[in-house]
Amino acid sequence: MKVQSAMFYFPEEVIEHIFSFLTHHPDRNTVSTVCKAWYKIERLSRREVFVGNCYAIRPDRAAARFPGLRSLTLKGKPHFADFDLVPPDWGGLAGPWIEAMARSCPNLEELRMKRMVVSDESLELLAHAFPNFKALVLVSCEGFSTDGLAAVARSCKSLRELDLQENEIEDRGPRWLNSFPDMCTSLVSLNFACLKGEVNLKSLERLVCRSPNLKCLRLNRAVPVETLAKIMNQCPNLEDLGTGSLLADQFSEAYVSLISALQKCKKLRCLSGFWDASPLCLLAVYPICANLTGLNLSYAPTVQGQDFINLIQHCVKLLRLWVLDSVGDKGLAVVASACKELQELRVFPSDLFAAGPATVTEEGLVAISTGCPKLNSLLYFCHSMTNSALITVSKNCPNFTRFRLCILEPRKPDPATNEPLDEGFGAVVKTCKNLRRFSISGLLTDQVFYYIGKYAKALEMLSIAFAGDTDQGMTYVLNGCKNLRKLEIRDCPFGDGALLADVTKYETMRSLWMSSCDISLRGCKALATKMPSLNVEIINEWEAEMEENLNNGVAEVISNNNNKHINNGNDERKVEKLYVYRTVGGPRTDAPDFVWTL
Amino acid sequence: MRGATDDDVEERGVELGLSLGANKNQNHTATARRGPPCRILTAKDFPASIAGPSRASPSPSQSSSVSSSSVRATDEDSGTDVVVGSTSPETGSGSINPSSSQTVVGWPPIKAFRMNSLFNLSKEEPANNKLKKANRKGHHVSCSNGHSLAEDQDKSQLSGRCLYVKVNMDGDPIGRKVDLHSHGCYESLAISLELMFWGTTTSSTGYMNGSRLLDNSSEFVLTYKDKDGDWLLVGDVPWSMFLDTAKRLRIMRNSDASMLSLRFQQTYVHGGHEQS
Repeated sequence: MKVQSAMFYFPEEVIEHIFSFLTHHPDRNTVSTVCKAWYKIERLSRREVFVGNCYAIRPDRAAARFPGLRSLTLKGKPHFADFDLVPPDWGGLAGPWIEAMARSCPNLEELRMKRMVVSDESLELLAHAFPNFKALVLVSCEGFSTDGLAAVARSCKSLRELDLQENEIEDRGPRWLNSFPDMCTSLVSLNFACLKGEVNLKSLERLVCRSPNLKCLRLNRAVPVETLAKIMNQCPNLEDLGTGSLLADQFSEAYVSLISALQKCKKLRCLSGFWDASPLCLLAVYPICANLTGLNLSYAPTVQGQDFINLIQHCVKLLRLWVLDSVGDKGLAVVASACKELQELRVFPSDLFAAGPATVTEEGLVAISTGCPKLNSLLYFCHSMTNSALITVSKNCPNFTRFRLCILEPRKPDPATNEPLDEGFGAVVKTCKNLRRFSISGLLTDQVFYYIGKYAKALEMLSIAFAGDTDQGMTYVLNGCKNLRKLEIRDCPFGDGALLADVTKYETMRSLWMSSCDISLRGCKALATKMPSLNVEIINEWEAEMEENLNNGVAEVISNNNNKHINNGNDERKVEKLYVYRTVGGPRTDAPDFVWTL
Repeated sequence: MRGATDDDVEERGVELGLSLGANKNQNHTATARRGPPCRILTAKDFPASIAGPSRASPSPSQSSSVSSSSVRATDEDSGTDVVVGSTSPETGSGSINPSSSQTVVGWPPIKAFRMNSLFNLSKEEPANNKLKKANRKGHHVSCSNGHSLAEDQDKSQLSGRCLYVKVNMDGDPIGRKVDLHSHGCYESLAISLELMFWGTTTSSTGYMNGSRLLDNSSEFVLTYKDKDGDWLLVGDVPWSMFLDTAKRLRIMRNSDASMLSLRFQQTYVHGGHEQS
């Protein structure tokens, strides 16, 4: 017996078994590069794939490599598309991916997509192509209607999860809910809170009645309290509830049944919705607050002042809180005293037009940091911030992994000292060693980028707007942040020098976005020439539309005439929007006329 | 006759799009603006007590290029704005310009979905508010199709739907957005756009009670892009049909649009097969 060769011989099944303990996809990516054998074993046994940029690889190639794929996660448009900086029709189409999966990965069970354009036809295909399909999660997507949802509901026999978060869905009527067949009893999670139209309440009740496994249900604003109460009576095991419209009269039957229904749901841990919530209905919620771990009031401007305080003071186990800034510093102070376990806080602006005094200030943030030392994730919109507040906050909460501060007025300095906020944000990166995501605002010089480059070693995503003085700022970041994956910049004075300072860096990142900066066509061309493994895309809506006008207003696709624009002389032209990303898929074939790949 | 007054500027500052905190103090002193506000907001426009080193003014030779960093505005005192493409004085110190009450696309960084919901949830629709005030001042917007503005406001709020479409004007690289559902007729929409882009609804000839955008009397016409991607003159189809098919708007120079209307007429002549 050859003992030596036995040591080197591992049956594939054993290796595959070992790999099954690797769930983190970067780990799986790493083992697949060890040798051909491992590559093969890994790819055949891979069940989950995460594609952070849908243009980083062709769908066919991904599908061919992982035929056993069960779960696919895709992200499409760049993050700044959320703020309308990416023109419509830019891309991020789900169709080619669903088609490729339909051809090669029939065992697909889960599809999660973010910022992608999905058509009803694609949803129809999805519904029919994957017999074991279980979960569809769409976040910030668009391009489809309730007809597409109906197709999914109708044909996915073992659908467990339909989760629609903040999508733009064309509402073609309430009948889609009827499409869930009578024998469909498998639903665990249903979220249609983002649908703007009416819902067939009877269908909803019947659906809930026959879904004994329902754990998460998020309704839209059209669902009244009566229906909510009925539903909750049917699902005492609900863990996550998004209410509909929370409006009821004091002595109405609806109100009374709501109270009793809520009390039955002992497992409720997460609440959201609260559309139009009246103080009365909030009273009904108090009894369950003590067990809540998640609370989202960010769509509930009626919950403020004393109503908010009365509610939040019961939420002693809260881990995640999303609110509007109308709760004020006072409300945040109560949060700080009651919610000692708080890990994530998001404070959204409630009124962009108010000429009145700001409702949350640095005081609220400092109070939170003092009372909630476990805070690790923050999104905070405010009208002003001081360096000393930021320094205090970072001392109190050294565990931030996500820190996003948006001062509503661009380039606003510290009002107490009139200085830039470099030191404040600098303190955050110095103290928070695990910071992975960072968004900064206010008046900022190159100095803050020096700090970021020097200290933010774990940083993966950085968002910058209206900041910096010279190319040096961006260069600090590119040179110093070793783990940087996504860099998005708008309205900063960074030019070609910064862009070209370290071109190989972009190969280690997922993407770079620069808009309204100081880069020229010449600089972008240079980048494209030096780094063929990157797609260097320029979005220039204006010129493409001028072209349309000149052609008698005919909206012709001019995509094949890229050269005409790119090489017609003036390379010193400033580039409006630049999107650079690494890819093995080559230039996009579906780029619209206003996207030029250099 | 309603001229542009300080009131208007203040209203503009409060109501149109995303009003930045900075400008609240400035509006009272701003003079009425004349001419199209074709300026690009850059970092320098926002108050900075410590002015960063000025960036070199880039070449003014761009005729059509859009880069929003390329042209500096403005003269703070007069509030006059600069047309894209021409040489412009540079602001040395990043002083605030009153017209930074203009919408800056994408700021503050709030998801479009949340923004739309926010508008639905807030008690008063700002754009409608402005028009209500316009009405009160004697500039009556009557919708010939029988809709009253109030009815449509209620409707859009009850149904919970906004229909924001982008509006671009030739010569102005800053895109704006307008909620079509908050208007009941073309007049109302056109007047709202005039207020948005020009700050006044009266042209230099003193025309009133009608939108110059709709009647070919000004240098500009209002066009829209429909579902099929065609650019058409606004006003030819019933309002409700317009709501269904309009995807975005463009305020086009009359000279460019004349070719457009020609094509449009041709479409109709040839049986309207391209119309949906």
